[in-house]
Amino acid sequence: MDQFLIALLNGLVYGLLVFMVSAGLTLVFGMMGVLNFAHASFYMLGAYAAFFSGRYVGFWGGLVVATVTVGLFGLFSERLLMRKVRSFGHTQELLLTYGLFFMLEEVVKLLFGPTPVAYNVPDELRFTVFMIGNSQFPFFRLLMGITALVMFFGTYAALRFTRIGLIVRAAVERPQMVSALGHNVSLVFSGLFTVGSALAGLAGAVAGMYYPTSPAMAQELGSIVFVVVVIGGLGSLNGALAASLLIGVMTSFAVGVDSTFGDLLRALGLDVFALPGFEAVQFSAIAGVLPYALMLFVLLWLPAGFAGNRA
Amino acid sequence: MQYLSENHQSTDREKIFILLLLVFLVVGLFALPYFADMAFINAMVLVCIAALYAMGYNLLWGQAGLISFGHATYFAFGASCTIMMMAGIEGGSSFPTPFLPLVGGAASFLIGIVAGWFATIRTGVYFAMITVAITELARAIVQRWDTVFGGEAGITSIRTAWGPFGFQKLIDVYYFTLVWTIICIILLWFLQKSPVGMVIRGIREQEERVRFLGYDAHALKTLVFAISAGVSGMAGGLLAFTNESTNVTLYEGAYSTTVLINTVIGGAGVFLGPVVGATLTTLFGYYIANLTFHWLLYMGLLFIVIVVCAPRGITGLGVDAVMHIRSGARLPWRLICKQILGWLLLSIGSVMIIEMVGAVLQPSYGALARSSGVAWPPVNVFGINWSPSSPLTLSGIALIFVVALVLLRDTASSAHRNVLKLAGAIVQKPEAGS
Repeated sequence: MDQFLIALLNGLVYGLLVFMVSAGLTLVFGMMGVLNFAHASFYMLGAYAAFFSGRYVGFWGGLVVATVTVGLFGLFSERLLMRKVRSFGHTQELLLTYGLFFMLEEVVKLLFGPTPVAYNVPDELRFTVFMIGNSQFPFFRLLMGITALVMFFGTYAALRFTRIGLIVRAAVERPQMVSALGHNVSLVFSGLFTVGSALAGLAGAVAGMYYPTSPAMAQELGSIVFVVVVIGGLGSLNGALAASLLIGVMTSFAVGVDSTFGDLLRALGLDVFALPGFEAVQFSAIAGVLPYALMLFVLLWLPAGFAGNRA
Repeated sequence: MQYLSENHQSTDREKIFILLLLVFLVVGLFALPYFADMAFINAMVLVCIAALYAMGYNLLWGQAGLISFGHATYFAFGASCTIMMMAGIEGGSSFPTPFLPLVGGAASFLIGIVAGWFATIRTGVYFAMITVAITELARAIVQRWDTVFGGEAGITSIRTAWGPFGFQKLIDVYYFTLVWTIICIILLWFLQKSPVGMVIRGIREQEERVRFLGYDAHALKTLVFAISAGVSGMAGGLLAFTNESTNVTLYEGAYSTTVLINTVIGGAGVFLGPVVGATLTTLFGYYIANLTFHWLLYMGLLFIVIVVCAPRGITGLGVDAVMHIRSGARLPWRLICKQILGWLLLSIGSVMIIEMVGAVLQPSYGALARSSGVAWPPVNVFGINWSPSSPLTLSGIALIFVVALVLLRDTASSAHRNVLKLAGAIVQKPEAGS
């Protein structure tokens, strides 16, 4: 039972983290039809910015610096680069963000080296919040979860109860109509892009201290974020939240399972199908595969995702 | 997106010219071992493989309008299956060695049917994301399944002689890859010209209309995805044949990225565009990767510049020039010279900055500074020792940038107008959200 609770909590925290990154991506897509491949790179930049500035302004200052820097970086890349190619169509924009994704990884390698940097939880935050049975639940895990929750409720409230939120929600559904009503959709889009990038940066700054901060972290998270967006339905915040939590919890539980594929096949009486070597692979070893498998199933049964309305 | 090169019919004179050029090129490639050194032949083997991979990749993009961001799986799976068959031949199987790439091609074709069926349920950016996810899925499985795919250590085998063919010398391998590459490219050309190719381009332009005509669009897209995967798998098979080994790093994102970059740089809209891109980046990579640690960064920068400034790649620029000449206008030579000079200066400046920053941030640089007693030891770029802190170096770099930007500023607005005019001729349709 304790193990179950721990796995559940860890899964929820990881899911919320994934959600922090996917929220910006899914909203930006819904509004302008732009899939930002570099979005996960912003997450990586956030971790590095917090690591670098944390030496000078302390841990909490580093979080602020990372959020602001990455937000501004997002704003500049939208205004100076993506706008330039928008007239050539979505394909060029997609390629440009892919180029940014590729280049940012190399830039980070140039500046900080190809190996992970020592961005760790500061000592004053290394304490246990509560115990579940005999296991400790560390504070920074809770911090990650709380940050994501605050962000979710903040974003939700801003979208639901403010005038700008109303315009953004409308623009995600029918950008041309909103524009025809006299709202500056392009400006709203830049703002949304900036906020989305800043949130990805904040997520990176918080997560980077727990997970390794390395140039590969963008790619590792990026594909999971895509899965979340496909499963949740593009443009849907609620769908993204559901998909993130599902994937987080699923992965977390799979890591804890001790059986192998051979066990499963034997239990089902199908061990004649056991492929050489594959039966010995443990479930925990392929926990990373589960999100993608889930995506394929969702594609089969709900091609538009949990909450997608555009088939 | 519709490509100009498909819209314009070549005149007879142009056709003969292009044909002669291609014949000349092929003869040159076959005669290459008689006057090139071994290092260059080795590079050309890699060029052939990269070119075939890019051609297979661009079948999906150029014809079906689907951009895959995860083609490494099919390339790598072809390589894995070929090496397994090579090991089988080594162990006594009677499979003829010259047809080894077909094993990789067939294997990748088969998994391409499954992956393509899933991926082509959706189009546009959904398709892009699904291809990424499928590749990650394959990578996660392959990395854990060491008994079959060999893990990090990989699988090694040897090229077994068959009949009169020994396949032991580099030249043998060169001719082997060259012949297979040319055969595949010719077949791809006929596929493009065939009625099937026509329907697939129809799906790219107006999928609904093609469906109304009674074609099964999903099946056709799956087919073209599988063929594309198969050709990529053949390229992977050629790589396995050349290296006599494979390992799971082939499944990593880098191999999906390279082929995409090659296609963009060469131009997806012209049939042999990907070959041009693959040749350029492979040769540059082969010779320059030894000189710098930051080759991939340069490739990324070049990619972004191409996407922003020449959206249809290098061959796209060539097509523009041909259209320009045919319309009777003179090429704007002054503008072209200014552009080239400006970009040249901009690249020199960028290379200097990147190399210096890279050198200064190396851990060894700090050690050097301590041992030599100089705060900023000189850094060697372009064979000259520059002192990173001297005002002369810094102002020199600044000057290069200023001159470059002035040159490009003069031309940027007019060039941009031209590009926009051409882009206006391209029929745009919403690709997202589908």
